[in-house]
Amino acid sequence: MPGDSRRVPGPQDSRSPHWYGKQPPQHQETGTRQDGRADHDLRPVYLHAGVVSQATGSAYIELGQTKVIAAVYGPREIARREEFTMKGRLCCELKFATFSCRRRRQHMQDNQEKDVSLIVLQALEPAVCLVSGGFLLITKQGMCVADLVQIYLSLIRSVLVYGHVLLDRFPKSQVDVYITVLQDDGSALAAAITCAAAGLADAGVMMYDVVTGCSVRQCGDRQLLDPSGSEESSQEGEGVEDHGMVTVGLLPSLNQVSALVLDGHLPQTTAVQLVSLVSALVLDGHLQQQTAVQAVKTCIGGCQGIYPILKDCLVKSTRRKVPAVDPTLIRTSIDGQNGRT
Amino acid sequence: MAAPRVCVPGERLFSTADCEAGPGTYVHHGYIYSCLAGYMHKRKQDGKELPIIEVIRQKEDAVPRKDSIVTAKVTSVSGRMCKCAITCVERTTLREPFRGLIRKEDVRATEKDRVEMYKCFRPGDIVLARVVSFLDKKVQVSLLTGFLDAACQLSLGDANCYLLSTAENELGVVLALSEAGAQMVPVSWCDMQCPKTGSKESRKVAKVQLQQE
Repeated sequence: MPGDSRRVPGPQDSRSPHWYGKQPPQHQETGTRQDGRADHDLRPVYLHAGVVSQATGSAYIELGQTKVIAAVYGPREIARREEFTMKGRLCCELKFATFSCRRRRQHMQDNQEKDVSLIVLQALEPAVCLVSGGFLLITKQGMCVADLVQIYLSLIRSVLVYGHVLLDRFPKSQVDVYITVLQDDGSALAAAITCAAAGLADAGVMMYDVVTGCSVRQCGDRQLLDPSGSEESSQEGEGVEDHGMVTVGLLPSLNQVSALVLDGHLPQTTAVQLVSLVSALVLDGHLQQQTAVQAVKTCIGGCQGIYPILKDCLVKSTRRKVPAVDPTLIRTSIDGQNGRT
Repeated sequence: MAAPRVCVPGERLFSTADCEAGPGTYVHHGYIYSCLAGYMHKRKQDGKELPIIEVIRQKEDAVPRKDSIVTAKVTSVSGRMCKCAITCVERTTLREPFRGLIRKEDVRATEKDRVEMYKCFRPGDIVLARVVSFLDKKVQVSLLTGFLDAACQLSLGDANCYLLSTAENELGVVLALSEAGAQMVPVSWCDMQCPKTGSKESRKVAKVQLQQE
């Protein structure tokens, strides 16, 4: 890759000093994790909205040592090169800061970052009123579930049909979400989803629901909720049939899954089970207890755990940012703009 | 009065049996949900039984719509059109300017063919204009292919610009600087005078009217 001539680059293969230090042993006591959590515990969460003054809305999240900041700009004009649309557009760009990981990252957006941007975008789209959302299921390492995905897609769409009512709110304009991962210590994608949703709500963008994200690391029969960096990269459980990462984006109030990312060696039968679970979640929720199914359930539990924090943070930021006003004063201006009452 | 309740997107507020959904809310499975982070208000409607629920966030983000009056700054003038940057929609200031375009035939309502753009606008003028409907090429195509709905919707100009019109007495240049750099005073609907040098410059002047409050 060509270097960036405008910057003084760090050495290509520089590493943090931590790399050379001794890794603390995993699972000192049986039943607890490296940081003393139980398998289904979240790390401490800190969430604050309204941190970037020049952005329309913004949010900052910490999940343990993972730190992510998101800034939302818009509605702004659609760039010249984009094709014409009467609907609003949502754009999402995620960047890992150069110093965020163990290994130094480059300034340019690489493929992983593009992938993650897309996942976050698709996780947010069903929630935001200005776009017609779809549903995303990404499977890696050769899982073939395309047919089931199609079935599931039709199911989700039928639920979200009413979403088109508000599409004309922002004609010809777009909302940009810029996410920067300041430090990646595991579950960066989940943190990015939650943070971006908080930023959008803080920007006053109309949404059907907020989105919370959560990850589970499957190591054999163990399910580690909200894995830390060392747990994400650990080799434990490899060679056994079930090991991988599951990330879920959830609309907590509507109880709908907006994104589901599976990564790892989850056997195909498990994946099939899983898709049927997700559709059943919307309908009923009576299914067998399979590993990946259970992992998704654990994820959803984690997402529900983050929801009160997100809600509390948004209430606080709204009180801070928007002064309570007499509704009769603003009503005239709103009616004038929309041309309807 | 107690501070109104703050809700977040997706919060379930009331059943549709008790209330009616207003701005900032949506209805799903018989319940009213909030779709904004803002303050919830319940207000009585005249002549209706159910109160209306609305969620209000003071800063309403505005984008130019059809028939809305916008304030724009002229950025460049050519023989056929005048480009401008839209800075305000109605009374809301935009965070970032939108591109706008005034075509020669949209400058005034009468004697459209005798309009000379250079005598109507100069770069730097502040203009009041209305967003107009316009059938551009894409719309004509979609008309032919039968997408009439799309054609009706595509009324805000082409992909790049909003089309503006000043073909009303109340629309046109409201603020302009003379060559000497002083703010000019309107003397007729097509002339403005510099208070410093006394020279006249031609513009399409707006007859500014005070809004009744």
